[in-house]
Amino acid sequence: MPGERTFRPSVEATAITLAAGLLAAALAPTAAHALGESTRFAVRSVLYDGGDPRPRESAPRRLGWEVRKRTSIDVHPDPGGARLDDPAIFDNPFLYWSGDEAFDPLSEAELAGLRRFVRFGGFVLIDDASPAQSGFDRSIRRELGRAFAGRPLRPLANTHTVFRSFYLLTRPEGRVRGPEQLSAIEVGDRVAVLYSRHDLGGAWARDNLGSWEHPVAPGGDEQRERAIRLGVNIVMYALCLDYKDDQVHAPFIMRRRGGGP
Amino acid sequence: MGGVDSAFSLGIPGGWPVAAGLALALGALAALGVARLRSEPKPGRRRLLAALRLGTAALAWVVAAQPTWRTPEYEESEGRLAVLVDRSRSMSLPRQGDARRARAEALLGRWAEDSGRAVAVYTFGDALAPAELSTLAQGIDARADESRLGASLARLLAEEDELGAVVVISDGADRSGFAIEGIETDGVRIHAVATAEDALRDDAVAEVSADPIGFLRRSAEVRVTVRSLGGPGGPIPVTLRRGDEVEREVVADVPPDGEAEVRIQFTPRQLGRAVYRVSIPRSTDDAVPENNERAFLVRVTRDKLRVLLVAGQPSWDQRFLRAFLKRDPATDLISFFILRNTTDMTMAGPDELALIPFPTDELFNEHLGSFDLVVFQNFEYGPYQMASYLPRIRDYVVRGGSFAMIGGPLSFHSGGYPDTPIAEILPVELPPSSAAPSSVVAEGDFAPRIVAGMEHHPLLELVPGPARNAEAWSRLADLSGINVVTRTRPGTATLLEHPSVTLAGGAPHPVLVLGTAGEGRTLALTTDTTWRWGITTGGETGDASAYERFWDRAIRWLSRDPTLEPARLTTDRERYGPGSSARVDATLRDARYAPYAEQGVAIVLDDASGQELDRREVETDRDGRVSTQLTVPGRPGAYRVRARLGARDEPIAEEWLVVEAGGDELADPRPDLARLEGLAARSGGTFVARPEDSPELSAFDTSRRRSLGTRERAPFTGPLGFGLVVGLFAVEWLLRRRWGHR
Repeated sequence: MPGERTFRPSVEATAITLAAGLLAAALAPTAAHALGESTRFAVRSVLYDGGDPRPRESAPRRLGWEVRKRTSIDVHPDPGGARLDDPAIFDNPFLYWSGDEAFDPLSEAELAGLRRFVRFGGFVLIDDASPAQSGFDRSIRRELGRAFAGRPLRPLANTHTVFRSFYLLTRPEGRVRGPEQLSAIEVGDRVAVLYSRHDLGGAWARDNLGSWEHPVAPGGDEQRERAIRLGVNIVMYALCLDYKDDQVHAPFIMRRRGGGP
Repeated sequence: MGGVDSAFSLGIPGGWPVAAGLALALGALAALGVARLRSEPKPGRRRLLAALRLGTAALAWVVAAQPTWRTPEYEESEGRLAVLVDRSRSMSLPRQGDARRARAEALLGRWAEDSGRAVAVYTFGDALAPAELSTLAQGIDARADESRLGASLARLLAEEDELGAVVVISDGADRSGFAIEGIETDGVRIHAVATAEDALRDDAVAEVSADPIGFLRRSAEVRVTVRSLGGPGGPIPVTLRRGDEVEREVVADVPPDGEAEVRIQFTPRQLGRAVYRVSIPRSTDDAVPENNERAFLVRVTRDKLRVLLVAGQPSWDQRFLRAFLKRDPATDLISFFILRNTTDMTMAGPDELALIPFPTDELFNEHLGSFDLVVFQNFEYGPYQMASYLPRIRDYVVRGGSFAMIGGPLSFHSGGYPDTPIAEILPVELPPSSAAPSSVVAEGDFAPRIVAGMEHHPLLELVPGPARNAEAWSRLADLSGINVVTRTRPGTATLLEHPSVTLAGGAPHPVLVLGTAGEGRTLALTTDTTWRWGITTGGETGDASAYERFWDRAIRWLSRDPTLEPARLTTDRERYGPGSSARVDATLRDARYAPYAEQGVAIVLDDASGQELDRREVETDRDGRVSTQLTVPGRPGAYRVRARLGARDEPIAEEWLVVEAGGDELADPRPDLARLEGLAARSGGTFVARPEDSPELSAFDTSRRRSLGTRERAPFTGPLGFGLVVGLFAVEWLLRRRWGHR
């Protein structure tokens, strides 16, 4: 495909990373012994009626794997799923809500659970696995309208902390290049619901043998890497919020973005 | 016994309007009856029947309206005489010429020579006290720092039986705010002899008003009222000093015989208590030079609590604590999170990452002292070459900083802290370095238990009231997993414990422990799941506020919020006049917030150099409370009150007070003759404007006019009135029947 580039990590970057890893071996953190499963981060899927709540079944686990590999976050290896009316959602404040077709309206109990989850600090990542179709999008907008009347989804600027919470990114991308911006519902000064129409899970999904399950277009492996980085950034944002907006980070980030000394 | 004017009223419900309506109705009925008598041919019978009808109606109205006469009744009798003499400092004014006190003494001397009748003598200042006429005549000890005339008079009236009159000798300058107009004298006459001069020449700093709390290096303001009495007015320089150092000078443009307010900005530059003085120049003819200077205390704190939060990895525990601290407008949060370890493979070059180096030297060398609280949350120091900074952190705490360690897989023993300077300041002891990783954590959900006796600790008070608080704790979501410690250090307070995990000796394993290290406070929380008291409890109960309440109180305890101090002293005022009496109230509790019950303590007054000036040995009650009086020194300045406990005389609480040369008592030296005159007029007493004009004691009217209540007469109520109405009506009815009418 014209214009498509194959992702090839720069030799320099790889060398630096490997060298840093080797040098740091002596200084590596202690093998941490977690205090229990509930202290770990988990990419738990939202289960619902009418439609496939897990169109990219391996995606949550693969995102967790990438987060664990790339960051210091301790991740639960098998996050599972829960319905919005299941009190278990309050045990782990991150939910991954995906689908590829229209689904049934949520029950009042599910809506109440969603409202309470968001109000008390939970984070919901919504991922449209079939952005070319409108079924899932219509259903999601309908349910968000029911749950958060008066708080519509709004475009999220690409300068938001989500795009610099770990990696420096310029726009959202997934299996498809998709819209220029993510959409979000904010509660107070935090993003509580983040909606992507880029099929992020399609870019993350990998079978047990390690092969990517879906091709990424138009950017190929580079775009896939950026999609993974966005996933990492979203997890990092859910856990650190606007940490990267703290004054101490500003000069470093500006310099790396080419906007400062 | 006698009565005066009676008051007339109607007893009918609704009063006059109802009575008027009833009169109209009865009048109409009577008129109708009279009109029907036109058929009666005999004029005599017609007039008799009409008269009976009208009389019945009139009597019915009177019976229904219940006219009532109320007459107050009094008893007049001779009572005893009391003399009440003002001994406040304002009685020593003016400094030039005859002082008010001297003129009162002359009068008392005259009365003492001619005291042919029994008289009870009292003085008042800050309180009522018995005295002798002859002693007062020789000299009134006018050193009381208040003129509580109203309160003293009310107490005298309540305590002295059979009083007929009280003669008050005073300048009337009661500035306590007591509503003297509301005093019920119950027939006792109040005679007033005013000791006041015709005119007073005085410049004064009448009032200073500043916030008792100032913020370091933040502009503050004091409002100063300058008053000029009997002078031409004009510009008066006003100087603000901190210690002996001049902070600011401004000019107040004071009108003749009036006052003006100026606002002076100043900037506190040191933490702690600071004494500021406001002064104006003294003129040679100033009647009260003491009130040309006032002082005020400012407790200088940081405008915001500076918190350093260091987290070893992003987690829900770190996320919810950061969100809480960031939201708190009173907190300035600096946080550092370790987002990647040296072994993590980011798959990116440094320029593609938004990561910054961990600025260990800036934080733990350059700026450590600027923080009020350092929190290590699930943080392992080893990979960041921080070993050389740990002694600095320990020393920072020993010098008064606060430190909290929150649990997690990278904390306590798992963070590598055994045998480090951090272990020295923690309120818990850690397993040895050689302990197996699996033995230093305990997994599993649990509901932490409040340690017996700690139910009243303010850190655990999620909601007010013991019963409601216990219920709030029972509704919290379970926590999960703990870092294992070997024991708590002596002198620490364990607030929460594990319900099933135990220490080696069998005692419950601590979950939340408070302690001290040198001057600093420390907190150890051996779990990393208190965030569940927010969203998880909120999901289950609909109320997620417990998490923030818990951490709000924990941070306040760590930062020594005065409202959470276990031992507290308060004085009845902040500023006193020289030699006056200061009331000190103490509530003394130990670090576990258990009262120091029935224990001997010393309440001590020190000057700034620590020299002891006054001391009272007292014993606390069962709640650890005690009150006492200290005599403040004559020299203006700032003084410290301390509570010292036990044989070691250990100070456990302190408060500061200021002694002013003038103080509130002399700030406004004007007498208040109108108050005295009004008091006399309302009680049937006499007012004498000058002591020199006062009659002898025997000339004061001591007849007490005591109320005996009110006599009420309502002659038309009862069966007699009703019977008369029925009787008249019956007679009329019989005559009408006999004479052929219906």
